[in-house]
Amino acid sequence: MRTKFAVVIAGLVLLTSARTIVAHHSFSAEFDANKPFKMTGTVTKVEWMNPHTFFYIDVKDEKTGKVTNWAMEMGSPNGLMRAGWSRNTMKAGDVVEVEGSLAKDGSPTGNARSVMMNGKRLFAASSQGNTQ
Amino acid sequence: MTKSLRSALLGAVAVAVFSSSAWVLGAQQGGAAGAAGEAQGGGRGRGRQSGPVTPAPRLPDGTVNFGRVPGEKGVWAVPYITNMAMRVVGKDGQVLPEIQQAQAAARAGGGGARGGGGGGGRGGSKSEPWMPWMPWSAAVYDYNSKNESKYDPEGYCLPPGGPRMMATPYQMEIIQQPEHKRIFMIFEGATHIWREIYMDGRKFPEGEELNPTYLGYSVGRWENPDTLVVENKGFNENSWLDYFGHPHTDKMEVVERWTRPNKQTLHYEATVTDTGAYTRPFTMAWDIPWREGGELPEYICQENNRYLNRLEDDLGQPIFGPRPQPGQKPPTGTR
Repeated sequence: MRTKFAVVIAGLVLLTSARTIVAHHSFSAEFDANKPFKMTGTVTKVEWMNPHTFFYIDVKDEKTGKVTNWAMEMGSPNGLMRAGWSRNTMKAGDVVEVEGSLAKDGSPTGNARSVMMNGKRLFAASSQGNTQ
Repeated sequence: MTKSLRSALLGAVAVAVFSSSAWVLGAQQGGAAGAAGEAQGGGRGRGRQSGPVTPAPRLPDGTVNFGRVPGEKGVWAVPYITNMAMRVVGKDGQVLPEIQQAQAAARAGGGGARGGGGGGGRGGSKSEPWMPWMPWSAAVYDYNSKNESKYDPEGYCLPPGGPRMMATPYQMEIIQQPEHKRIFMIFEGATHIWREIYMDGRKFPEGEELNPTYLGYSVGRWENPDTLVVENKGFNENSWLDYFGHPHTDKMEVVERWTRPNKQTLHYEATVTDTGAYTRPFTMAWDIPWREGGELPEYICQENNRYLNRLEDDLGQPIFGPRPQPGQKPPTGTR
């Protein structure tokens, strides 16, 4: 019982603390925080650019076998560097697990909150954040 | 018992480790996360102090030094203030009591005036009755609330105007040149901008001579060795006061008061008088923490702004892309 409680509390704190904020465009105009996703795919391209770094991944639908190329938005290179990234951290061909929020318009676009790569989780300096 | 205790302890350690790493990340993001936390408390905005508080440095002429001292690095970690209405202060410099009440109600009910990004609710002009709205400014604000700031000019990589320069969470520096009677403020973010404050006692250009710009025309003076007062006029209407979308007009005048109560803290106060949008002036204030050792990296917002490329108006037409010509089929979307 207490074990579960401790884990739940740790999880809650983890969720509420992960506020990385880089102001640029309106997160909520474009993405839906109530539509979280977790998907794994192979990187096809990385745009290490301002105001948002984008990377693209091919994700295969296990049921249909159809491959979709998803665009994933992260923070600015400055924000990512402060979170431990460099421009060479992610390359085409890398297999990554991405967590974040889906676009509101239903297109294959996501706002990445964190990326798991080579067993290491990196925060994505996401524009999703707790605003005032 | 021992097992549960160990699990609880492990959980606590995980919490502590994660909290501290999140804090480091937050602090590195221009103090945004920390500022978000304190701002919701309704205070004037105290920066995180990681070390002892030391006296503000001074220039040889005795006036306060708003920048670095020789041999040290450092930058101001500007907080992310998305709704300036929640920073309006009274004559005593404290946040208005009705704002504190609204914040308490928002905390209890979730959303309201405090909500915002990440799917939170937005209350519009009705949730901020202390703001001296005109009917049109209230309506524009309601529109911006409803579409969740979709058309925020900063999302287009356009600069902030007025006080929002000190509320966009990228670091900045203040460089004083008393020998040249001017002060520069340089900003990493918000489109990598700089502003010049004329300290030579000049008068404002009048009439057509005062060409409206994003950052306005700034004339400063030392009220006393501790307080820099900067008057600003000549803003264009292409910026918003904040992310939440409080509008302003080109009649806006801003008086800023800058102090450095200690080396680690910059206190910022801005009085907005805009006879085109608000029925009376209002003053906002917050603190900005010093980040020892910080430097400004390059940030060019215009490089790859896909948000702008994808942006559509309320009728589904691209804002910046090619528009359909008469007889042409309209595009079916840009993404």
